[in-house]
Amino acid sequence: MKQLANAHPRKRFFLEMFTRDLSLEDCVLDLIDNSVDALHRTRHLDLSPPLLAELEIPKQAAKAKLPSIEVVYTDLEFRITDNCGGIEREDALNEVFSFGHSAGFKGGQLGVYGIGLKRALFKIGKHFRVESKTTGGGFVAELDVDTWAKADEKPEDWTIPLEFIPGVNADAAAGTSIFITRLTDEVKMRIKDKTLEAALHTAIGTTYAVFMDRCVRIRVNGKDVRPMEIPVGESAAVTPGHKNISFENGKVEIKLIATLAARIRGEWSSERAGWYVLCNNRVVLAADKSELTGWNSGMPKFHSKYNGFIGLAFFQSESPGLLPWTTTKRGVNGDSVVFREARVQMLLVARGIISFLNEMYPSDLYEQPQQREIADAIAPSEIRSFATKPSSDFTFARRVSALKPTVRVQFDAKRSDVERIRRHLRKSAWGASRIAESTFNYFLENECPK
Amino acid sequence: MPEIVEPTKSYLSVHYELRSAKQVERRMLIDALHTLGEDGFRISDYQYTGMGSIYFVDFVLFHKLLNITDMRSVEYDVEIRRRVRFNKPFTFVKIFINDVADVIPKLSVRKRHLLWMDYDSFLSEKTAIDIVLACSRLTPGSILLVTVDVEPPIRNGNPQKWKEYFDEEVGHYVPPDESFAKSNLPRVNIDVISNVISSATAPRGVEFFPLFSFLYRDGHQMLTMGGMFVAEDEKKRMLESRVLKASYIRTDFGAKPCEIKVPTLTRKERIFLEGSMPCADGWRPRGFELDEDDVRAYREIYRFFPVYAELFL
Repeated sequence: MKQLANAHPRKRFFLEMFTRDLSLEDCVLDLIDNSVDALHRTRHLDLSPPLLAELEIPKQAAKAKLPSIEVVYTDLEFRITDNCGGIEREDALNEVFSFGHSAGFKGGQLGVYGIGLKRALFKIGKHFRVESKTTGGGFVAELDVDTWAKADEKPEDWTIPLEFIPGVNADAAAGTSIFITRLTDEVKMRIKDKTLEAALHTAIGTTYAVFMDRCVRIRVNGKDVRPMEIPVGESAAVTPGHKNISFENGKVEIKLIATLAARIRGEWSSERAGWYVLCNNRVVLAADKSELTGWNSGMPKFHSKYNGFIGLAFFQSESPGLLPWTTTKRGVNGDSVVFREARVQMLLVARGIISFLNEMYPSDLYEQPQQREIADAIAPSEIRSFATKPSSDFTFARRVSALKPTVRVQFDAKRSDVERIRRHLRKSAWGASRIAESTFNYFLENECPK
Repeated sequence: MPEIVEPTKSYLSVHYELRSAKQVERRMLIDALHTLGEDGFRISDYQYTGMGSIYFVDFVLFHKLLNITDMRSVEYDVEIRRRVRFNKPFTFVKIFINDVADVIPKLSVRKRHLLWMDYDSFLSEKTAIDIVLACSRLTPGSILLVTVDVEPPIRNGNPQKWKEYFDEEVGHYVPPDESFAKSNLPRVNIDVISNVISSATAPRGVEFFPLFSFLYRDGHQMLTMGGMFVAEDEKKRMLESRVLKASYIRTDFGAKPCEIKVPTLTRKERIFLEGSMPCADGWRPRGFELDEDDVRAYREIYRFFPVYAELFL
């Protein structure tokens, strides 16, 4: 006789397991993603064109007029407030608070899985209040998580009470505020640690490097977050490797760029070198030097001589579910078919730079390869300039005369040893270099003859 | 410190045209390519990319016997660049003084390729990267050949030292439980190269169809592995091709490689043997002493045995 085993979800699973692998930074980024997606829904911000080249960087005064997202925290409260357009009542009733999206839901371009908001709320505190207003109306959802968790019997227990409140008159005033209180111990501890603010600035500045300050401003505790600069370099002597490809019948467009890094205070930065992977212009992997992006697996193992390498892989899609990001969107799903296929091309695009850097640092210390001159002349460039460039292989203007058939051999030896050989050779007039040359030739003739 | 054996500058030590086992291998490859040509693969339209050194033996053979006319030779050694250019055998051979890793990403995706990475060095991180690049770039229908030295990579070493060498260079691709006994080093190389190829090919919509796994020795023991990148269409044609019937073909890298042994024979002996080929198992000439092993080896290679008089092309 067939029986039916219980496979009901339990709230504990969502409250405890679901939040376990998440950092506070992940949570804040998830909440910011929701605000950015509101811009997509209400102001038609399109994050899918590569590099957002058509979005001009506004002047300082105009920057102040951009929609903004404010993250503020104290040891009692965590708050994120935006004027990015708000959430429609309809979506609040059906999508925003449910675990996972319904099929066909068109949410946004950064929100993918329908778990980010809930997971962040549960991770940060035991009580939350979400208030959102659009021109069509507003709502408040308030929840005491512990009380809510106790009732877990019937489908009706899986609801969150909403109260409708009046909306706003102007689009510019529409937005969402989230207040989280009764913070969890983990979060309290992170807040006590004064480095949290810097960590959030870095995480936010890295993740939204491409579009922050162009379509949205983000502040943490009242301080503007500065976008990280991806140090792409440029020089007349160098053509970057650049390739456009499409997958899934054009539903996923990929742009790959590999070039030399710009120097920061005269040096290539090891921290900034590596591959950057972006999904819908959100940085999901920054300066990666691991096997995930091909290092030590089709590319050589990362080494300081590759500090001049910058690779960018832009994955764009109207359907964010097709992009290869993980659920935290701070990593790449290495098993994704799209990513694996793209990685094959990444290796090929990267190759020219790898060879350039190999030749730039020959094993012989006294060589002065032409690559060094080229590297010295690299100037910082903007990644946006790649948006319209056609595909190209990485090349540089190589001088044939640069290929020298000889290398300079030079080393230090003890005076007494040189003197011993000199005496043995009975050539008291020979200088050290003449003696060294004769020992080299002796070895060549007697130990490795042609 | 263990001494890593320097890759041999084989162009300095052995005259290419006189390496008989290598020549048998070339002729077997040509035989296979010829059959593939008859079975629907237009080999004469392929672009050949090889490492011609200063002798270009493979270039001459592939042009004269297979009518390939689109050829490029890659030479890494800057010191002989003028010599390489001087010895270029035909007008259409393009010379690249470069690392093969820089040439592969630029191979045309509109052509089918025959790429022979004919190293005289040991398998290393560098050669593995070259193979990955080739597997990433070559179009369906293209043929990849890889030759490496399979002698112990460290002189005066022992299995532990050789294991360390492989772990350091290509650790990723070394199967667990591999034995690094000297006699098993060819197997280690085959397994590693096979893993490099499969892991690099898997993400693409193509498959690698193994065809060649040769072991031979003119001085050092060498291994050549090869096969074709196939999509559905090529795979179907390949499965129907008569090339699979040839005794030297290996469609599974797990199988024992085809060992090319060139028995030492006088001209008179050879002419006599030829008249009895192909012989039955266990047959031996009555008029002179010759091991059964040598007879068997000769039976495998007599069609491809080089006749030096015709070799100075």
